[in-house]
Amino acid sequence: MDIGTLKNYSDLAYDLAQTKKNALEKMRSRQIVAYNGRLFRADVQTINVVQTYKAHSKKFYMLDTNDNPCHITDPDEFLRILIERNQETLNTYHQLHEDLKNKRLK
Amino acid sequence: MTTGVLMYCFNTPEVNYHLLAEQCVAQIQKHLKLEITIVTNIKTFKKFKPLGMINYKLVDNVTSNRRSYRGKNIAWYNFERVMAYEHSPYDTTILMDCDYFVFTDNLLTYTNTKYDFLLHNKVHDLTGEDMIEGKNESTIPIVWATVTIFRKTEFAKQVFDLIKHIQRHYEHYRNLYRIKYRNYRNDFAFAIALHQLNGFTSHKNFIPTPMAMLSHEVDAIDVAETGITFKYGKKVGRIELQDVHIMDKEFVNV
Repeated sequence: MDIGTLKNYSDLAYDLAQTKKNALEKMRSRQIVAYNGRLFRADVQTINVVQTYKAHSKKFYMLDTNDNPCHITDPDEFLRILIERNQETLNTYHQLHEDLKNKRLK
Repeated sequence: MTTGVLMYCFNTPEVNYHLLAEQCVAQIQKHLKLEITIVTNIKTFKKFKPLGMINYKLVDNVTSNRRSYRGKNIAWYNFERVMAYEHSPYDTTILMDCDYFVFTDNLLTYTNTKYDFLLHNKVHDLTGEDMIEGKNESTIPIVWATVTIFRKTEFAKQVFDLIKHIQRHYEHYRNLYRIKYRNYRNDFAFAIALHQLNGFTSHKNFIPTPMAMLSHEVDAIDVAETGITFKYGKKVGRIELQDVHIMDKEFVNV
């Protein structure tokens, strides 16, 4: 394979990496939810923490994205909101990821 | 409780900001569905096409500030933003630059919190070239006044009152915080006010994700209803359904 073709592959790989980076930022922006006046990220860490706390107590406190405490009084509802938003954003990201995979194979 | 968007828009000899504002308003109406108030001057107001239900507030703006843009020194009318607390008719306000384009309803999340003053302290350069944030620009970390969500509370009033003071004595504060740029920038005035009001320590409450941004070296070649296509060097990129701050001011003239 000549160096020109290799350079084209390299350029394409860079563009794909950047598109992926932008899509991940878009996903993270969408993952922010407001709950009880505080801000939370609907990511796996938050979901896991809520799930763990919920197994031990019906009400608990959590720190939001700015390290301010929030009283979680309805963990089931909170967890539902987090999972719903998390899956919405991952579904969008998955679709883009599939498109990128096809581009790479061409 | 009322929530709305407040924008400042003043045409300069070099840039037709009203054209940017018209596109920005269309996106707000589509995605945020909030009431909008535009603070402008009579000359710019006369240029606006009918935009539906918009509140206009006419003021005489200061015209002394300038900025560097693509190798030129151009006019920049950004002094009036300090009056946002008084100009806003809303209990909760999204104060937004007219070159910030919303393609989602993400900003509504921030209007539904206990925070009385939120803004970005990080940016994401969509080109991946990290062209936006320079190094050693000041001794204080920058915040981005592009999108500021505030509620009419005592704290928000204190912030804006202090910004007014900083603007009046900007040369002093610019020297104090060793800010590289000689012109007045709201980003630094907001950063200084938050720093001082927080007892000269870092302000802690920010929008938790970076603001997506295209620097002024990047050309926006197509701004559609769902996304933006941009060009930098030989590369072309596209984003869809993602809010973005575009610093290119020329695409509206095409």
